[in-house]
Amino acid sequence: MFTQINSKMVEAPVIPGQRLFSQRGAMLAYRGQVTFTPNIMGGQGGIGSMLGRRIANEDTPLMTVEGSGSAMFGHGGHHTHVIQLTGDTLYVEADRLLVFEGSLQQSTMFMGSQGGLRGIIRGQATGQGLFTTTLTGHGSAAVLAHGGVFEIPITPDRPIHVDPQAYVAHRGEVRSKVSTAIGWREAVGRGSGEAFQLELTGNGTVFVQASEEKL
Amino acid sequence: MTTGPVVWDPSTLPTDDNVNPYAFSVALNGRWFLQKGKMVAYYGNITFHPIGYGPLDSLISTSFHSPTHVGDWVVAEGQGHMILADRAYDVNSYDLEQGNLTVRAGNLLAFAPTLALKQSIIPGFLTLIGSGKFVAASNGPVHFVEPPIRVDPQALVGWADCPSPCHHYDHAYMRGVLGGVRRLTGIGGASGEEHQYEFVGAGQVLLQSTEVLMNELVAVEPGHTVPAQSAQANLGALGRQLGF
Repeated sequence: MFTQINSKMVEAPVIPGQRLFSQRGAMLAYRGQVTFTPNIMGGQGGIGSMLGRRIANEDTPLMTVEGSGSAMFGHGGHHTHVIQLTGDTLYVEADRLLVFEGSLQQSTMFMGSQGGLRGIIRGQATGQGLFTTTLTGHGSAAVLAHGGVFEIPITPDRPIHVDPQAYVAHRGEVRSKVSTAIGWREAVGRGSGEAFQLELTGNGTVFVQASEEKL
Repeated sequence: MTTGPVVWDPSTLPTDDNVNPYAFSVALNGRWFLQKGKMVAYYGNITFHPIGYGPLDSLISTSFHSPTHVGDWVVAEGQGHMILADRAYDVNSYDLEQGNLTVRAGNLLAFAPTLALKQSIIPGFLTLIGSGKFVAASNGPVHFVEPPIRVDPQALVGWADCPSPCHHYDHAYMRGVLGGVRRLTGIGGASGEEHQYEFVGAGQVLLQSTEVLMNELVAVEPGHTVPAQSAQANLGALGRQLGF
């Protein structure tokens, strides 16, 4: 269970026998006997998972945090946001993951499987790539964002459109696709700058940052 | 709900208090030490003198003992309000009473001359001794912790009352078969957490989120009263680049 110390710091208990995975170099301070080991696999699973992440470009360097005590995390002066998972799935870009508990199952998902060709176009158009990292299970995760994070609920009768650059993560049974609003204005270079939006439908929550700066 | 930005004038500006989390207003009546480039606006009749300015000699001899940071500091003299800010960092003031506090040189914005500034034996840090107010910046709010604790050098803002820290190196990950492979080939990389400052004893340690190494902006030269100083000759800036 992570504690949000302030807008830019998260404290995580380090309990013997329970591992944490964190972005390398993101530890701010720690108490007790805690070790930080660079994780050659870039996360959980075996060689196959590692290769999958390499190919998917979701292999942000991680380290394993073990021992007993507590550790504080933060990175790059970015805002942090703690998300508590209770059996559901969090979809998040690997480089936005600050720290997560080892009890969460980490895997890489091909976005093309959500929405077929449109999903692929979504990845390319939004600069998020074709793959995203998923965390499933019970436990805490902390994500990074430029500017504060706010949550917007997604309900079946109320789809939500998010600027791809401001999108941080989402959870729940949510389908995402790119909606475009390209007309002759974009073609002549007089666009609104909001030609691409991420349309999220279903049941869940989307996390949005108050900035259009990607990490 | 508030409607629009707050408008401040000399009568409503706070006296030695925050204007907002990122800006601090000093009600100046006399002299204050100020780090170059941290003043963003002022009201009133204030002049800024370099540390070497003759009439300040007696003040310097009692309150400023840091040869390597001479080029970073000026003395503000006069009456009025001075607004301080730094890289959109959170800005806070601290009151010392017969105390001592050591702070990262780049994060110290200003201090009252009732305090004495001394160079810490840890490079890139300055120690304030005595009683009075000073203003310091931090990336995100400051988090106070008590020793024993080990702190990433980037996350350290300063410490008060406790003994100076020592280095702690973590070589555990270099052991074993995987560690040997890592050491010989570099495969696996470093965790970035091999080195910390270790604090023990009684006191307070001030933490921030990380110290972002942004490109150092060259401060606007405050007129011809200050001799031009190249960034290379400026040890304070060098210390910041090295992450001290």
